Amino acid sequence: MYLSHISEEQKVIDVDLISAHPVLDYSHGAKVSFSFDGKSMEGFEGEPIAMALHANGVRVYRSTPEMRRPRGFFCAIGKCSSCFMVVDGVPNVRTCVTPLKKNMKVETQEGRGTIKLDGVA
Amino acid sequence: MSEKRTADAIIVGGGVHGAAAAYYLAKAGVKDVVLFEKEYLSSGGSGRSAAGLRHHFGTEVNCRLSQYNIECFPTLEQDLGGELKLEFTQWGYLWVAYSQESLTQLEKNVTLQKSLGIPSEMLTTAEMKKRWPYFNVDGMLGGAFCGKDGHINPQTLVMAYGRAAEKLGARVKTYTPVEKLLASDNKIKGVVVNGEEWSAPRVLLTAGPWSTPLAKTVGLDIPVTPERHNLLVTEPIEPFECPMTLCLDDGAYFKQVPNGSFFFGRDDQDEPRVLESGNSAKFLEGVTESVLKRMPALKGVRVVHQWSGPYDVTPDHQAVIDWTPIEGLWLNCGWSGHGLQFGPSGGRLAKEMFFGEKTFVDIHNFRLARFAENDLFMEPAFI
Repeated sequence: MYLSHISEEQKVIDVDLISAHPVLDYSHGAKVSFSFDGKSMEGFEGEPIAMALHANGVRVYRSTPEMRRPRGFFCAIGKCSSCFMVVDGVPNVRTCVTPLKKNMKVETQEGRGTIKLDGVA
Repeated sequence: MSEKRTADAIIVGGGVHGAAAAYYLAKAGVKDVVLFEKEYLSSGGSGRSAAGLRHHFGTEVNCRLSQYNIECFPTLEQDLGGELKLEFTQWGYLWVAYSQESLTQLEKNVTLQKSLGIPSEMLTTAEMKKRWPYFNVDGMLGGAFCGKDGHINPQTLVMAYGRAAEKLGARVKTYTPVEKLLASDNKIKGVVVNGEEWSAPRVLLTAGPWSTPLAKTVGLDIPVTPERHNLLVTEPIEPFECPMTLCLDDGAYFKQVPNGSFFFGRDDQDEPRVLESGNSAKFLEGVTESVLKRMPALKGVRVVHQWSGPYDVTPDHQAVIDWTPIEGLWLNCGWSGHGLQFGPSGGRLAKEMFFGEKTFVDIHNFRLARFAENDLFMEPAFI
């Protein structure tokens, strides 16, 4: 819904993955599957989660707390808070600097993110 | 035409007490009130505080003043013009005790509070665990809770008082440090600012720990000293039911503020007794250990930054609110870390003292002479 002004063609445009990141050391490991909002996707183990999402055509990672505006990839160095997502149940994960792992559950973050409260049934 | 350098009252220090005094005086019809602040409004201890609002005190005068404070806060945003959001919440205050000594003190405080009509209560650890299942109560003996206590944005609070005072005709002069006070024949004459004399028959000193060197310029010694205290703020997470939680045993506290961030603070008597701000990894390590012990769910929530500010401490951790031996000079400082929330009371008292009215609460205990007379009255509920 956020991307209604962007054509389907733009959304699925093929991207060339970079092999050298300006500040991070990482490698493209084995091809693994992970999920995004319940949909199964594939990426390379060890690459930033955001990179795998980008390669799969995912551009919106979260919505802002008050105005509910879409946010996605921006600073790419773990600084700007634009790419916060819920990963394996943990909110506010900086997906642009967090390595992808096999079977990760990646979800769009709505608002500020809710932490797991111990002791609450 | 150059600005008129005379006033009916000069206030030195633009924290909450100075700004509230300017507002109350202007509102009461004092025509020419001038407030001098060396930087911006709230730049000292006020704006750097954890901005808690509580009834939980252990001396009657503080409890009575706190009742007035907390009567004012719910409508204060509108009363001051509604331009600035004050972010007032009433998410409660919970004091937890790990030692019998602390528990006994909390019980005494709550008994006093209840006798004055404050809705405080003692809670067992089982009651605490039931209400906030995510608290780790291991080792705790109990706690004291008051659900009417809360939080306010300390910066907008001070700025709102300042703006409201200006609208009523007060002159608020920021980035204008007072160099010294002026007195002759044991009477206040005014202040010196930028090398120029400003004259007024009455001068109120509300400069927190900076009050001490200023008072000294007219030969007045006041036992108010700076003490550096630290705070940190986390990234925001969705608010959940969590009162401000404090512990007398290790001096640590935490609370969630309306935007979802948490504040963590902790007393450290090894901190330098200086006006200057600064920070240390020691604070970060100590406070996170204390807070995570009580609230393990916050582990993994990231810290955004930390800061410090100076308390204005007196030997009995109580304010000094009194006329001084120098005619026309009066003080409201020395709040020892709990002063922000007393802005409404401080402003009202300043106005009542200016007009020579009977103060709405007996403030005899806050007199300056108590130190010389060795008649201290310790406030037991402080961090």
